[in-house]
Amino acid sequence: MPATDYQASFLGRISIRRNQVIAMDGNHEQELQDLELFSKHVSERFAELLSSPDDIPFDALLSISWLRKLLDFFLCCEAEFKGVLMMGNDPSQISKPPLDRLIPEFLDRSVKALDVCNAVTNGLESVRHYQQLAEIVVSALEQKPIGDGQSRRAKKALTSLMSAMNVDDKECSAAKATERSWSFSRRGVSSKDRVPEHFRSVSNQVAKNWSAAKQIQAMTNNLVPPRGAEGSGLASPVYTMSVIMVFVMWALVAAIPCQERNGLSAIHFPAPKQLNWAQSIIGLHEKIGEEWKKKEKKGTAGLLDEMQKMEKLGNILMDFTDSFQFHGDITDQKAEEAAARSAELAETCRRMEEGLLPLQIQIREVFHRIVKTRTELLNALDRVGKSSPPLL
Amino acid sequence: MDGCQSGVPTYEGDLHVVAAAHHIVKALGATKNLSDDLRKILIDLDSHLSMITSNIDSKGGRGLVDVEERLDQAERKIMRWETDPMMIWDSGPKEASDYLEAVDETGKLVDGLRGLSVHENRKQKEILHRAMNILQMAMSRLEEELIHILVRHGQQFEPKHMYSRSIRKDIVYDESFISVEDEPIKETSSRNYSNDESGECIVDLVHADVIPDIKSIAKVMFTSNYGPEFCEALISVQKEALEQYFSFLGTENLSIEDVLKMEWTCLSSKMNKWTWSMKIIVRVYLASEKQLCDQVLGGLGSVSSYCFLEISKATILCLLNFGEAVAMGPHRPEKLLRLLDMYETLACLLRDIDTLFSEEAGSFIQLQFHELLERLGESAIAAFEAFRVAISSNGSLYPFAGGGVHPLNKYVMNYIRMFPEYCNTLNLLLKNQHPGVADQVTEPDYGLDASLLTSCPMAYHLRSITSCLESNLHKKSQLYKDEALQHIFLMNNIHYLVQKVKGSELRLFFGDEWIRKHNAMFQQHAMNYERATWSSVVSFLKDDNPGSSSMSKSTFKERCKGFSVAFEEVYKTQTSWSIPDPELREDLRISTSLKVVLAYRTFLGRNLAYTDDKCVKHTVEHVENSLLDLFEGSSRSLRNSRRW
Repeated sequence: MPATDYQASFLGRISIRRNQVIAMDGNHEQELQDLELFSKHVSERFAELLSSPDDIPFDALLSISWLRKLLDFFLCCEAEFKGVLMMGNDPSQISKPPLDRLIPEFLDRSVKALDVCNAVTNGLESVRHYQQLAEIVVSALEQKPIGDGQSRRAKKALTSLMSAMNVDDKECSAAKATERSWSFSRRGVSSKDRVPEHFRSVSNQVAKNWSAAKQIQAMTNNLVPPRGAEGSGLASPVYTMSVIMVFVMWALVAAIPCQERNGLSAIHFPAPKQLNWAQSIIGLHEKIGEEWKKKEKKGTAGLLDEMQKMEKLGNILMDFTDSFQFHGDITDQKAEEAAARSAELAETCRRMEEGLLPLQIQIREVFHRIVKTRTELLNALDRVGKSSPPLL
Repeated sequence: MDGCQSGVPTYEGDLHVVAAAHHIVKALGATKNLSDDLRKILIDLDSHLSMITSNIDSKGGRGLVDVEERLDQAERKIMRWETDPMMIWDSGPKEASDYLEAVDETGKLVDGLRGLSVHENRKQKEILHRAMNILQMAMSRLEEELIHILVRHGQQFEPKHMYSRSIRKDIVYDESFISVEDEPIKETSSRNYSNDESGECIVDLVHADVIPDIKSIAKVMFTSNYGPEFCEALISVQKEALEQYFSFLGTENLSIEDVLKMEWTCLSSKMNKWTWSMKIIVRVYLASEKQLCDQVLGGLGSVSSYCFLEISKATILCLLNFGEAVAMGPHRPEKLLRLLDMYETLACLLRDIDTLFSEEAGSFIQLQFHELLERLGESAIAAFEAFRVAISSNGSLYPFAGGGVHPLNKYVMNYIRMFPEYCNTLNLLLKNQHPGVADQVTEPDYGLDASLLTSCPMAYHLRSITSCLESNLHKKSQLYKDEALQHIFLMNNIHYLVQKVKGSELRLFFGDEWIRKHNAMFQQHAMNYERATWSSVVSFLKDDNPGSSSMSKSTFKERCKGFSVAFEEVYKTQTSWSIPDPELREDLRISTSLKVVLAYRTFLGRNLAYTDDKCVKHTVEHVENSLLDLFEGSSRSLRNSRRW
């Protein structure tokens, strides 16, 4: 039987028991080849993401460009997945066990992913706001010579920036949002540089009481590796694609401010290590998970590389403006140091300027792609359903 | 600026050159049609030149002192407000313009001082720092004043002129297809709004009186390089105002999951609200917001459209997401009209959207609109198909009691009566559904040429829907065991179909030919009914021997009895049948009467000799009156009623 030839490499060497493999014809052979290719590509792509060098800032883990690559890969995997699933020779397969159960579960996951996409799109609006504030900081510190006025200006923007990043991360802030409005009389506040309070706007919410962490947790429901004979059929790519989808959504939520992320690190991926393609994903999950745990202790807005950098530089520059105001002047060495940090911040802003909109567009593309595949799958199910005798 | 440094003149002769240059710059600056960039350059040059003058003076010791005096003066004006609890722009126009003047002066001094070689002169550097510090304070204050003005003079507008949306339609068509067994349909007026009703209308989101104030703040902040702060404040306040308005409209954020799970009645009202909010938000609110941005930031290049995009993006995406969620939901037939509403709304807003978001950064939003439009179109087509499928597959296990108009028929006909309102959209969407029809369609111009309407794609689909309906009704008629009742049922239902078509704009799409054909159809069923019911009854009254004078008494008795029994049986059964349309009922009674009463009268007349006999159970009048009880939908019996 031809199946034995594929046993060695097929889907990360899941053993197929011969007697469980049914209908071994030429088409099936082709299908096995497609499946193998699919998991091979998945494996390669995520290995590339895992091996992203940390020291090259442009491609660092969870940087904007890294996320864009992640989404690119998602789109590629998704296209191949659809090919494997839908171009198959026997469309009725999707309505037979185990797919009759797995496909609806997959579709359910897809819908949840769509809401995550929207939450992340909203989150990117916040990141845009950070960028605006950071640009003010840069433009204040760029002025030569740097004096008290410019230092104050930078400090004001920095305070707004830090508090914005902080508020976006405070999960309770959603409740505050509705009550808040601009206060009419702000005079008489003692501080010279008053900072407007920040808030999570209503439009940044997916829905009331919605939680990104819970959503992703729910996506992992029923997500178990196919066992036994199921492992040889289309159950495998459905499982693989599900894991990819959950992982991508999880990584986006970890990187970008999102509504309710409590408990994100507790999400467990049911991806067994012995599956070849899953190894890199597991590696990435562990790596990002570690970062997230650190974040939970420190309280940062998100793991987006550019944002972390912004936060770090913000803190340094904040110290600088503080000491400036305290001493009235600064040493040349300090001024040089500040100028260097400011230049770094400018570079980060530039990368955001270049990358945020394309990232947003790409997330939208992912959104539309998921919708499209869902529609196609539903139509296929519908067609299969119609060809069977009607209930009436 | 380095050029200026090296170019600082040191001797008398140059002073004249500088003075002349200054003069020219001032003259140029007075020119009206300058681009804003050029104007800015001239202003910069102006302050450089005046600074050079004072710098040259400073060799004589006067210049810096002058500068310092000017700064002191400006500082006093600016600092005065730092301790004042009042807002400047609330205190009066004089205060505001004084303040602006002081800020402007400080800005000029900063620009001028910065243009000079600051490292050489310690005193000069000190003054520059002081000036920048004052400027920062002033800018911070201006930002606060700006926020205050925007909030205080922000105006909410009532969308009252748009409240006239088709509320009655909601009540009727919120019924889901599943509930056709009920009696959901009331007669309704057609929808009472057209798509361009809301029209272009721009309101003042911020009171028009304060626009010049905001503009003056913008001008001085941008001149002093504080543009980002201005934008940040403007965006924050206006974005929040838009969000508040959004929730004022009663629109709430819903996750896609929520929308997909939503019950039909709830979803329907949300879809309706979306259609309405979308129009107001885009046509009125965003158009007004765009105007505000342009008024305040016009002439500053892409700043205006940048701010506009940042203000509106989140809300727009939120609206779009609901649309996406609806479009991807299950394509149930009852969704069709709502989907068409959404589609039409979006289609007629596309031009507005393309104008509002014409800049490159906004093309993302534009694209999302176009994609959603496409998706809603697909979804509407799918719902249309689902409607057709639901009609064909609507099954019954039991015959519909009384043979009246079936609820499915009522639902379908009342539903499609709304279609002509959506004629252009449906034609557009359905054009490619059946290739054969597409060719016949040139630009469909609804309402112009009646003969063209019957051949448009919608007409084709309408007829195909009613033929699905007819064949389903035929199937349903087979459930009756009584052939006569089958005919009553079909007569009733086809009559209803024709009435609905004739009584609405549907007739233009179905055409006279269709109506004629279907008129003939229900009439045929009426005749079939008469034959099925009455032929056997009347056969008792027939004269077997037309030549002979009369029949024997026993035959008469037997015939009389047979007729009575058969008539009573018919009476008992058919009083429970129903013909809801009074005219149709009347017509059928008359023609039955003509047939039966006439035959009975002749029968009795011919056998006058026996008529006093007890065997004549029913008088002619009685038979005639009894026929009036038929088809009233409540069973009666002649046997128990009266005795003669």
